[in-house]
Amino acid sequence: MSKLSFRARALDAAKPLPIYRGKDMPDLNDCVSINRAVPQMPTGMEKEEESEHHLQRAISAQQVFREKKESMVIPVPEAESNVNYYNRLYKGEFKQPKQFIHIQPFNLDNEQPDYDMDSEDETLLNRLNRKMEIKPLQFEIMIDRLEKASSNQLVTLQEAKLLLNEDDYLIKAVYDYWVRKRKNCRGPSLIPQIKQEKRDGSTNNDPYVAFRRRTEKMQTRKNRKNDEASYEKMLKLRREFSRAITILEMIKRREKTKRELLHLTLEVVEKRYHLGDYGGEILNEVKISRSEKELYATPATLHNGNHHKVQECKTKHPHHLSLKEEASDVVRQKKKYPKKPKAEALITSQQPTPETLPVINKSDIKQYDFHSSDEDEFPQVLSPVSEPEEENDPDGPCAFRRRAGCQYYAPRLDQANHSCENSELADLDKLRYRHCLTTLTVPRRCIGFARRRIGRGGRVIMDRISTEHDPVLKQIDPEMLNSFSSSSQTIDFSSNFSRTNASSKHCENRLSLSEILSNIRSCRLQCFQPRLLNLQDSDSEECTSRKPGQTVNNKRVSAASVALLNTSKNGISGGITEEQFQTHQQQLVQMQRQQLAQLQQKQQSQHSSQQTHPKAQGSSTSDCMSKTLDSASAHFAASAVVSAPVPSRSEVAKEQNTGHNNINGVVQPSGTSKTLYSTNMALSSSPGISAVQLVRTVGHTTTNHLIPALCTSSPQTLPMNNSCLTNAVHLNNVSVVSPVNVHINTRTSAPSPTALKLATVAASMDRVPKVTPSSAISSIARENHEPERLGLNGIAETTVAMEVT
Amino acid sequence: PGLSKAPVYAILIALAEILSVKDISGRKLFYVHYIDFNKRLDEWVTHERLDLKKIQFPKKEAKTPTKNGLPGSRPGSPEREVKRKVEVVSPATPVPSETAPASVFPQNGAARRAVAAQPGRKRKSNCLGTDEDSQDSSDGIPSAPRMTGSLVSDRSHDDIVTRMKNIECIELGRHRLKPWYFSPYPQELTTLPVLYLCEFCLKYGRSLKCLQRHLTKCDLRHPPGNEIYRKGTISFFEIDGRKNKSYSQNLCLLAKCFLDHKTLYYDTDPFLFYVMTEYDCKGFHIVGYFSKEKESTEDYNVACILTLPPYQRRGYGKLLIEFSYELSKVEGKTGTPEKPLSDLGLLSYRSYWSQTILEILMGLKSESGERPQITINEISEITSIKKEDVISTLQYLNLINYYKGQYILTLSEDIVDGHERAMLKRLLRIDSKCLHFTPKDWSKRGKW
Repeated sequence: MSKLSFRARALDAAKPLPIYRGKDMPDLNDCVSINRAVPQMPTGMEKEEESEHHLQRAISAQQVFREKKESMVIPVPEAESNVNYYNRLYKGEFKQPKQFIHIQPFNLDNEQPDYDMDSEDETLLNRLNRKMEIKPLQFEIMIDRLEKASSNQLVTLQEAKLLLNEDDYLIKAVYDYWVRKRKNCRGPSLIPQIKQEKRDGSTNNDPYVAFRRRTEKMQTRKNRKNDEASYEKMLKLRREFSRAITILEMIKRREKTKRELLHLTLEVVEKRYHLGDYGGEILNEVKISRSEKELYATPATLHNGNHHKVQECKTKHPHHLSLKEEASDVVRQKKKYPKKPKAEALITSQQPTPETLPVINKSDIKQYDFHSSDEDEFPQVLSPVSEPEEENDPDGPCAFRRRAGCQYYAPRLDQANHSCENSELADLDKLRYRHCLTTLTVPRRCIGFARRRIGRGGRVIMDRISTEHDPVLKQIDPEMLNSFSSSSQTIDFSSNFSRTNASSKHCENRLSLSEILSNIRSCRLQCFQPRLLNLQDSDSEECTSRKPGQTVNNKRVSAASVALLNTSKNGISGGITEEQFQTHQQQLVQMQRQQLAQLQQKQQSQHSSQQTHPKAQGSSTSDCMSKTLDSASAHFAASAVVSAPVPSRSEVAKEQNTGHNNINGVVQPSGTSKTLYSTNMALSSSPGISAVQLVRTVGHTTTNHLIPALCTSSPQTLPMNNSCLTNAVHLNNVSVVSPVNVHINTRTSAPSPTALKLATVAASMDRVPKVTPSSAISSIARENHEPERLGLNGIAETTVAMEVT
Repeated sequence: PGLSKAPVYAILIALAEILSVKDISGRKLFYVHYIDFNKRLDEWVTHERLDLKKIQFPKKEAKTPTKNGLPGSRPGSPEREVKRKVEVVSPATPVPSETAPASVFPQNGAARRAVAAQPGRKRKSNCLGTDEDSQDSSDGIPSAPRMTGSLVSDRSHDDIVTRMKNIECIELGRHRLKPWYFSPYPQELTTLPVLYLCEFCLKYGRSLKCLQRHLTKCDLRHPPGNEIYRKGTISFFEIDGRKNKSYSQNLCLLAKCFLDHKTLYYDTDPFLFYVMTEYDCKGFHIVGYFSKEKESTEDYNVACILTLPPYQRRGYGKLLIEFSYELSKVEGKTGTPEKPLSDLGLLSYRSYWSQTILEILMGLKSESGERPQITINEISEITSIKKEDVISTLQYLNLINYYKGQYILTLSEDIVDGHERAMLKRLLRIDSKCLHFTPKDWSKRGKW
């Protein structure tokens, strides 16, 4: 045997081991010692036991014989398998099922008593059975209950009686027996149970305590990374489930409705049967009357769930028209605005400040929509300025719900009061802010009551609601409204509308078209018409076309509107009579005059200073007059200015045709159209007032900011358009800059109708300052039609876009 | 009845340790543990069988063990013990057990009781010397055992109670079993001459009458689990230790009677129990079982494994082992039994490993004249036997040799012959086609 001169490598489990068998086997003498290089594996036994005699003997025997020898087996205590009563004990046979046995874990616990009767019990039972019948199972159940009800302390007989639903005598017998047996019993219970651990730890070493609870959770592999993912999955799951719920609920609702429909149909058929309406005549009759409603009802359903986008301001849709109906010429709508403002500007004076208004005459107040101005201050409320219809259940499907994160303002008292004055309308007051009569420009039609919301991305969404008046409302032609306003020269309204964007309010109880119209007219009903900020081509056309003179235009328009009214009258009973119209106009004129008078008084002091120092005039002058004017009131004032001129204008136009020229001469350089002249005239007639007005309104809003651009452009020298433009621009900026100064400048110098219009526009813009700058610019530019555009553009860029709300 | 019969093989006088004394109708009985013999052979003996002259007293304390033994030739007993006890031990000569003259000197009662109260280790350490000391250190305050696994290797907390069998006899179906070790059945039942178990649900009763009554209420004819394997009369049932607690606990109590190192300290929740049954017209009779952790951190594929004594030495043990590896194959894992192994466990596993590995080695055909070869890893993969067990088996079989600078496996003729003979006797095999088992990924569940 040669000793190894090298060290054997460690055994590599991944290395192939060639297998040698039998004769191939090499001489392994050398290998014996090498074998030790392989690590000795532990047997896995306790050392102490490993050395036990029988094991060693068995192991060595195996080593020698390569198989077990009977004599070398490890001895164990013997077992016997000769229980001779086995077959008697385990009765019956059990057939092996063909299928694998599969057991439900829940079936395992049956309600059998755990207690098993022993022979001692049997004796008792036999004895008891002489007097009464008691079955072993019954007895076991009794003992079982007694045992389980008592812990260390045995239950009392009383408790036992409650526990056991048996004959008293039996209970007594069993109970006594049980108590006796329990006392003799060595264990804690007659039902042998494995000792439980105690919480105090005293049983930690008790060898008879078994199956302790595992206090710590067993160490398992950590899967923390799953946590987040699974959380998200849970969230997703939840979302999907809730969606499913929603769908199911909708289905439920649908099916309910179906069922209802079915029932109703049944009912109808029944009714018809009773009426003898076999031919369907009655049904048809009814249907006809209903069909009208249905037509209108459809939109109503829409509001409930679906929001219509009626218009998008971005697209520069036509302006909203205020209540007034412009005459059938669609084109006019925008123009009217501009014109009106101009006219107003000329006429100036009339516009009441919020303050003054109430003073003027209460009756008038009803008609004017002052609320709108108030509303301006509270955009939340306003967006859907709405007009109620009557209906007891105003909220209906569109009931207001508070939204988290929104601030809500308390209702304005003055509004409330106002509405109360119209007793008829009082109940509608609540509705006022929800819906208003709305007309669309593009499909030119009235869509009934709706409210407007601004969606994401500035889309305007109309929520419509169905009312009783739908059939009637449907017949309202927007043109009627427009023409009406213009013709009636209730520019006030229009101005109001433009101001509030949304609308003047309508309160309306009656069904007839004429009444509605009159309500609209009288400002009791608000009508909302989309309006384009930028006056479009039509405007420009108008401007140019109207050069000849506004009066003509006006007349034409008014005529048209009247005609329309008449037709409408014919169509529907009611309608507005010319008389009504006239009286209304007169009222308006009166009011405007009063306003003008007031304004003049106030202005006179300021007037001079302003004119001389247009730049500086700023707000200081205006301050004195104003209480605190906010943008809303400013709007109002501006609009008032705008609106005022119209009536006066008409008069003026008639009276002072000649005057135009003079004024024109001054103004002409600006290159404005003839339209301007008329306005100029108005201006000339009462320039001071208008200026004052403007100052006032503006001044309130603004502090003394002087806008450089304005300052530089001296209003007087500059063409009117220009100044107007700048003003407009500044107005646009209202939120950013105080437009006041600008206004003043322009006004003092020469308030042109366009300027006024711009002002109104700007005012309206204040409300909803979100319009793309480009649109703002373009609108301005269009209005002016002047070379100054370029300059304006520069300014316009900084201006905030505006949108008609 | 069992008491009077000494183990068949206990024919030699041996050194023994007296663990307890009891007095039954005036006769003193001594509970003796034969040194170097497995505890399962411990028994109550009368003083006639003790050789009182050779008694040894514990050195330090007055209470003690006395030794003396009965049975057992002890050719291979460790030397250190022999030295200690030489003087005391009666001559180791084979003697029929019935006439075994071994005797133990009874001590006075007080002393004996003191002994009984003493943790067993202490005394043993006195006898066995230093290698046990490390374990003794933890004697004072035993802490709760580890929570994984089901076997206890640290027996420091063993007290005299658990060192002694407490159940005399168990009747299970047709069989009467004599427990080998302590089992924590309710203490009041330990005094009974026979504990009656329901063969199918394993519920314990104190009398035959109780069992009879129980059987009227128990309609189980098979273990209360899902059958996952059946071939011929052999079936396997899978029982979840969490879902079916009462059966699991009853099974554990029974198994504890035959498994020394098994611990029932904790509940059965983390285990699955695979019960092997044999069918006859009365039902599915339990033959043996093994338990398995649902999640093992140490590659254990078996926690406890037991063939009930009436079925031992008939190939069922190997069948259980084979089945456990079949499950591991389905799981795609290698596995090993939890340690420590018992003597019988070691023999069974070694036998299984040997046969399984030899089967593979002998089945290898040489390819194109080349000598067949295989890696240990390959063997492990094929058999699901853990690599270490493969190596230890190869070593045990002495197959590994170093030849010409590399390791080789040599299959000598006697190895081959022995294997073939053994395989002829091994008729019971698991047929993997009859296994319908889908492993669950328990790690994905919050609880077992």
